[in-house]
Amino acid sequence: MLQALLQAIVGGLMTGSQLALPAIGFTAIFAVLRYPSFAVAAYMTVGAFAAVFANTHFGAGVAVCALVAAVAAGVVGVATEHTVLSPLRPAGALTVAIGSIALNLVLENVVRFFFGNDMRGFDMPILPDMRVAGLRVGAQQLQNLALAVVVMAAVFVFLRFSRFGRAMRAVADNGDLARLKGIDPKLISAFAIALGAALAGIGGALLGMDTSIDPLTGYRVLLSVFAAAVLGGLGSIPGAVVGALVIGVAEEVSLLVVPTTYRGAIAFFAILVMLSFRPRGLLGERAT
Amino acid sequence: MNPNTLLPNIATLRRRDLLKIGAAASAGAMVAVPAWAQGAPIKLGALLPLTGAGGPYGGPMAKAAKGVIDEVNAAGGVNGRKIELVIEDDQTSPEAAVRAARKLIDVDKVAAVMGTWASAVTTAVAPLCWESKTFQTTTSGADSITLLPHQGYLIRTQPNTTLQGQKFGAYAVELRAKKVFFITPQTPFVKTQLEGITAALKKVGGTVGSLVYDDKRPSYRSEVEELLRFGPDAVILGGYTPDTTVLLKDMFRAGFKGQKLGFGYSINQKLIEGVPADVVEGSYTISPSPAEGSQAYAKAAKLSGMANPDPYTAQMYDQVNLVILALAAGGGDMNGTTIKNSVRSISQGAGHQKVDNAVEGLKLLAAKKTIDYDGASGPCDFTDIGDIVDCKFRYEQVKAGKIAMLRIA
Repeated sequence: MLQALLQAIVGGLMTGSQLALPAIGFTAIFAVLRYPSFAVAAYMTVGAFAAVFANTHFGAGVAVCALVAAVAAGVVGVATEHTVLSPLRPAGALTVAIGSIALNLVLENVVRFFFGNDMRGFDMPILPDMRVAGLRVGAQQLQNLALAVVVMAAVFVFLRFSRFGRAMRAVADNGDLARLKGIDPKLISAFAIALGAALAGIGGALLGMDTSIDPLTGYRVLLSVFAAAVLGGLGSIPGAVVGALVIGVAEEVSLLVVPTTYRGAIAFFAILVMLSFRPRGLLGERAT
Repeated sequence: MNPNTLLPNIATLRRRDLLKIGAAASAGAMVAVPAWAQGAPIKLGALLPLTGAGGPYGGPMAKAAKGVIDEVNAAGGVNGRKIELVIEDDQTSPEAAVRAARKLIDVDKVAAVMGTWASAVTTAVAPLCWESKTFQTTTSGADSITLLPHQGYLIRTQPNTTLQGQKFGAYAVELRAKKVFFITPQTPFVKTQLEGITAALKKVGGTVGSLVYDDKRPSYRSEVEELLRFGPDAVILGGYTPDTTVLLKDMFRAGFKGQKLGFGYSINQKLIEGVPADVVEGSYTISPSPAEGSQAYAKAAKLSGMANPDPYTAQMYDQVNLVILALAAGGGDMNGTTIKNSVRSISQGAGHQKVDNAVEGLKLLAAKKTIDYDGASGPCDFTDIGDIVDCKFRYEQVKAGKIAMLRIA
């Protein structure tokens, strides 16, 4: 029993790490633009398909595929934000959020139109699981974890130490004050979207490398990503990472007692509990 | 002209003419009726998937049916009466099938509706048939079909999923498995297949575990985790190609070393091409099989124009033969009820003479012999509710990227 529990925790940390990047993207967009972007699911899908394309047509390796995914998703994110979602901004955050749901559907179906519904996989060798202290760990998952950690570290350094990063944090903290200081909100918003979408794209590509991709790749984990961001505190990037790991572990451990078909309920449950008792999330700041 | 004077004349003329015509007609009818009654053709209906998801199968099925009926008519028909085949397209859609069935039953007044393919179509058409006492033969496999209150007006030539489950369980036992895990998406067949597998394992004191998964997921790590915890010698995969592909990959990653059994329509050439060889190597597949190598199968091949008729064409060949022989054996009104009452008298029975085509069978029936029809799809012996008792199955194994046939049994 203990073995099963440990295996579930290890597995949960692995799947949680796959949720971390999209969760950071989601929360970054919320921090700067102040709306929950449900289009991150589509950004993940676009990234995943771009990565598969690079892999199967050009033989690109893991790192290059991730880069291609980031660029593709980032471009799509900025383009659609500018044309579709920005015009909705004056109507309020809720309207933009609803618009992002619609955008998600449209992008998903555009992908479906060009690539069809079939599942496709990367042209990479299927590696057998590794055994560490009697526990099974996916080899591809470990690779993905390493890449995710590198990306997260890069994001952290960027936000902390670069001018752009500091500007982003300023806008997230207090938009009006930031504008007074001469920071152009439009530019920062575009950048936040680019970053958020790119992270979601990389997340989608990594998820696809471990499993397989289809137009619903992003949509399937959207609920878990949203739950992770809420759990960690909307707007808090470390919170998104913690939230993703907690959600991952919670889902895997719950499978020991509940049939696998109920996995989706865990994320719902987490959102419900967190919003009822501690709306700011685990690491979020109290609303002023 | 005065209209008042005209009208009575026309009316009188008309009446007189009418009387004349009427007298002539009834006289003619009385002369003609005896002639019609003697040679009135027997109408049989074929409700086939000429278009839609089952489209590839409808054409060959129609050809096989026409072939059998042409042969029977050339040999003199049934008791001097010719058989007339009416074919309608069900478009593999229950709605279209019901409209077409209504036409066959109400307008053409067929004695039998044969060849319904999709389970949903068969389920929709069945009440129309038994309520109008029209006999129905089908190639659908869903267990629920023969459990409908059809009062004997329905038989099928396709093995139901309980039988298929039994075959899977029996083969797992043959592969010396004591612990079998059945992993499947949610389908109407889960329970019946599991029962079939469990029954086979119980006979050797084995145990069975099972798991139902969502067939749209890109990864089944957790499901495979549960599978490994059970520790099976053999895993039976009940899904279709897309989800089975993902499942096999995850089982490979997890290092599952036992036997894998799946359905022939799932672990097929397309799946093999989509995964690395190691992932699917050694997997066994089982599919219902026509009685290849039998004379009946060869005849079905000739009539349908296919070198290797698919199971449905072979079954259609059998269904037409069975219906014709049942009509001949029953005699009398030659309608659906006749078929219902006589079909088992010509399809099974110890000591009866075996036949595999209607022409020969009709000759034997005329000579007052008892016959047992064994056809292109199998022995065609039916239970009380219309299921086949047994049929052949194809056992194959994936070896070095190709599907190798092990046996047909």
